[in-house]
Amino acid sequence: MKKNFLSRTLNSPPHPPEFRARLFLFIAMLFFISENPGFAHGVGYREISLKAVPLEFFYSTGEKMSYCETKIFSPSDSKFAAQSGRTDEQGRFSFIPDASGEWRAIVRDNEGHQCEAKINITEEFLKSENEIENVEQNHENDAPEGFELFIRALLGVSLIFNFALLIKSHAHK
Amino acid sequence: MHISEGILSTQILITGWAGTCAGVALGLKKTSDYKIVRTALLASTFFLASLVNVRIGPGSTHLSFIAPMGLILGWGAFPAIFVALLLQAILFHFGGLLVLGANTFAMASPALVVYLIFGKSIRESQNKISVMTLSFIAGALAVIMGASIAGAFLGLTDKNFLTAIKLLLAAHIPLALIEGAATAFLITWLKKAAPEFLK
Repeated sequence: MKKNFLSRTLNSPPHPPEFRARLFLFIAMLFFISENPGFAHGVGYREISLKAVPLEFFYSTGEKMSYCETKIFSPSDSKFAAQSGRTDEQGRFSFIPDASGEWRAIVRDNEGHQCEAKINITEEFLKSENEIENVEQNHENDAPEGFELFIRALLGVSLIFNFALLIKSHAHK
Repeated sequence: MHISEGILSTQILITGWAGTCAGVALGLKKTSDYKIVRTALLASTFFLASLVNVRIGPGSTHLSFIAPMGLILGWGAFPAIFVALLLQAILFHFGGLLVLGANTFAMASPALVVYLIFGKSIRESQNKISVMTLSFIAGALAVIMGASIAGAFLGLTDKNFLTAIKLLLAAHIPLALIEGAATAFLITWLKKAAPEFLK
């Protein structure tokens, strides 16, 4: 008659003493590791005074890009983000560069808007302890505001009507 | 509703441009001479509407007037929206030039769809309430359709955008109601004051 696993185990001959000693040591070791979480990774913290690059993201309307997904790309790796997270309520995000070159910060909201900031970090910036004055920020893609926005809106409307009148006058000829 | 540059995949960008080129070509062909100034007027309205922000809860969105564009211009909505979005990209940095095709398609095709569905009924109806109701539905539907197409573009680019798409659609429901109301009042007024605009 075929015996099942439980009956085979219960009716098996006793293990030799060396095997039982090794099994005991193995279980004791597992118990020791599991009872002491610090055995594998200890944790701690200290305050440091490294210089960060604080950025603020906003819409052209002036509204802050709050709690938006943010990724920071180092000059050496444009594929995998060196740091990721979300902007705070004020649309701010900071990172600490550890290499010179062009760092990129990409912020996306849930409506398909994306803002990309390019920050040139110089060797002097990494060495100096002063305020962040060596950071050259690229504002090429910043949306216009205030009076500039008004002028551009006026220019746009003017262009549309001039274009339409041009077509109309050609159609009449 | 503008999708920014650098988000969509190349395939989606090409698809958007293909749809937009076809729409703009047909739109230009079907736009008669007397509708040119009207097209310019509505293109200007659309161009400026993005600057009018509507606060909804913690965030804000802007008016688009997609449905009035479609109901007044018909096929002409495609070239009008294309020009307006092109100028918004250049002058306001909304959206972008590469993504212009996808953005135009996402906003102009709902305008065309509401024109094809509701245009004739609104033109022929003499009942003020039915004109208002149909215009309201057209206005709301156009916004939801635009957000859905933009969401589909994002979803086809990256499945990680699915949560973003749900939020995008949810955020556009209040705007759909506002646009529906604005379209209802505008079209009802035009039908009374200047019915030739809807022909």
